[in-house]
Amino acid sequence: MKAVGARLPRYDGVAHVTARSVYVDDVRVPGTLVAKALRSPHHHAAIKRIDTARAKRLSGVRGVVTHEDVPNNVYGHLEALGIPADEPLLAENDVRYRGQPIAAVAAEDSDTALEALDAIEIEYEERPALFDMRNALDPDAPRMHHWGGVYPHFGPHNHRRVRKGDVEWAFDQADVIVEGVYRPQAIEHCPLETQVALVVPEAGGRLTIYSCTQAMYFSLGVVAAHLEVPLNRLKFVGGTVGGGFGGKVDTASETIAALLALKSRRPVKWRWTREEEFLASSTRAPWHIEIADAVTSDGWVLGRRTVTLHDSGAYARFSPYGVTKHAFHHTGAYTIPNLRFDGFVVFTNRVPTTAMRGFGVTSVSMAVELHMTRIAEVLGISPWELRLKNANRIGDTTANRVAMQDPSTVPVTLAAAERVGEKLGPEYAAMTADRRSGDLLPEHLVAQQAPEGAHVLGNGGGS
Amino acid sequence: MARHSGRGFATIEYPTGMNQNGDPSQAWIKLKPDGRVDVFAGTVDIGQGSKTVHTQIVADTLGVPYDWVTMDNSNSDSSGVCTGTFASRGTFIGGNAVRFAAERVRERILDIASKELEIDAGDLEIADGEVVAKGAPDRRISVADVAGAATYNYGELISGQGTALKPFAEVSDEDGSVQVEPHSAVSYAACVADVEVDDETGEVTVTRLVQVYDVGRAINPTLVEGQIEGGAMMGLGLALLEQAYPHYPSAEHRGAEFGTYLAPALEDLPELDNVILENPSTDGPFGAKAIGEMANNAQPAAIAAAIHDAVGAWVTEYPATPERVLRAIQAKAEPRREGKRVIFDEEISLSAVSSNGGAGFLEV
Repeated sequence: MKAVGARLPRYDGVAHVTARSVYVDDVRVPGTLVAKALRSPHHHAAIKRIDTARAKRLSGVRGVVTHEDVPNNVYGHLEALGIPADEPLLAENDVRYRGQPIAAVAAEDSDTALEALDAIEIEYEERPALFDMRNALDPDAPRMHHWGGVYPHFGPHNHRRVRKGDVEWAFDQADVIVEGVYRPQAIEHCPLETQVALVVPEAGGRLTIYSCTQAMYFSLGVVAAHLEVPLNRLKFVGGTVGGGFGGKVDTASETIAALLALKSRRPVKWRWTREEEFLASSTRAPWHIEIADAVTSDGWVLGRRTVTLHDSGAYARFSPYGVTKHAFHHTGAYTIPNLRFDGFVVFTNRVPTTAMRGFGVTSVSMAVELHMTRIAEVLGISPWELRLKNANRIGDTTANRVAMQDPSTVPVTLAAAERVGEKLGPEYAAMTADRRSGDLLPEHLVAQQAPEGAHVLGNGGGS
Repeated sequence: MARHSGRGFATIEYPTGMNQNGDPSQAWIKLKPDGRVDVFAGTVDIGQGSKTVHTQIVADTLGVPYDWVTMDNSNSDSSGVCTGTFASRGTFIGGNAVRFAAERVRERILDIASKELEIDAGDLEIADGEVVAKGAPDRRISVADVAGAATYNYGELISGQGTALKPFAEVSDEDGSVQVEPHSAVSYAACVADVEVDDETGEVTVTRLVQVYDVGRAINPTLVEGQIEGGAMMGLGLALLEQAYPHYPSAEHRGAEFGTYLAPALEDLPELDNVILENPSTDGPFGAKAIGEMANNAQPAAIAAAIHDAVGAWVTEYPATPERVLRAIQAKAEPRREGKRVIFDEEISLSAVSSNGGAGFLEV
């Protein structure tokens, strides 16, 4: 019997539904301490003083850590991709979002840990906060990030750019220019299992880290970098996660729990409360997307200008990656030969945003598809036929000039139309994903086509 | 009060693998002396079903029954690198890693079977746990006996490793172009949403979603449908319900528990009609592309378009809460026309909200 293609039951399904799967919080190690974090009550403030002396003296407190205890406090998750670090593991000179961790304690029980948090003295000096990313580059905007209002490291630019073809020509030629603004919201990952880590110091000096990470080796690297230890000092145990959706790539709990385990020489479990999960864990980003499309009255999209703002929250995390992915896919399932795109990673005083299902591209779909429906409405043509006409075809090139090998805009659109009984004109109903020719290869789409067999478009695509 | 029905749709695409590549997955496989298969891979199963899918890929690549295969993704000591469960990479990249490892194990099985049967390895095939001579089905040896012979006669641990890695694609900071494909494959989907809009309360009810997904090859159709239906619910949340900042852009009054954060529940579940298309990829395991992330991307715009179809109002700030829908119905805002420009949503644009007309963003 062939396994591929078969409706086999989920490998771990019976274990999940009979509560026999072992999640991090199910692991019980004798002598485990409880961890709690002191988090910023302010959206934006300078830290003038941190005093943990009284907390450390409390009976039952086994470890207190601040930025001074982290070997490498500022480490960037994507340094390997050339994205520099900006976020401290534990806040040092300032806090930039409500909920930012400043100190953490490990104690014999939860009450003692909470009592210790109360005993930590912190002197803040509140600063003005910024929440609307549209104001981030205003002359009078609050300054909240040491890099400025936006992430500045896209090579020489402070934004990710796409330039393809001749946008001026497209907007000159257009019969109509349709402009719209689209604003997807921040949403929560909502895992049933909150962020949680259990770190056990082993006799030989290794740390065993029971982790809910979605990315075991990635998180292994992050913890090792903060602690400045080789990878063989750490053993990650995981692989089974109680809901992630992108929110458990951030390695949110492992490193601080490891620091407390090293400090106390005891096993430490840090399980975020539901309130912490909602208020202090990362979210999907809010976006602000402005699109102007140059279109002809018979439904060709000749060119597009896009300005995208991605709300990164207080630090960069994965946002530069997300905006680059957004840039690559900002034309959606369609071929638009003339493009000007500027995408910004904007800093605000909210919890840093992060990956979530569809990272960088969900926002494209939410904006571009509604915009396409609007174009059809403005032109008075079928939204189905508008999409089929401009659909990706074999040999067409993407915004970043990659030749498409097997695009399925046409097959999925036709299958959907058939399923709901949508009547299409015969020339549309007969469409395929094949290379453009005839009426479907008007003059404005010739230069963007890649030669047969090519993987990327050469300089023929303009500049 | 009246309820108005409307229909909207969307077509989307989504890439497989980390943007710009450079994200390895590694796996290794060993056989027990009775031919049973231990697979070690670091791919985290967050509920998407990678353990199941990887087991299916290994079983068919080796030619052994599915229940011979055990997956261990439990720790970083025994498994190789897997960059992570994100970027819809588990089936394609993680799946290729276990496939490549299984192909090497298969070669070792055939090599030892060749010695045992005294038949050239190229004339042997493996099916249902048996190594069989092509065209001479009585000339055979079980994979169990091959593994036993390897262990006790030849002194070999039958094993194999595989790495799936596509090289990093540099991007031009000037024009965004790349010189190599920055993804492993691209999947496509279309979604049709039928809604009812109450023009007194602003409430939107999604009555039906028709969804078509090209996933390349459905390794496990049940799990693909699970992704499609789970994704539909998340898409419905993005479209109509969820907002981490209920007074965005203000950061105050956030919901701090399930009771005050409105995520979709089963009562919101519309009628779902799923269609799986199989347009195989060239490089994926058994032609697979991906399904994971894209499954919540198409519904929001389809639902927003359906709201316009129902009541003639555009809601472009998501989610389309009853308040936003009512305000849009009352405003019935017509776009401003200036020459050939048709300008929607001007009041929420950078030029309207920024104190200097959005110069920092618009004049670059």
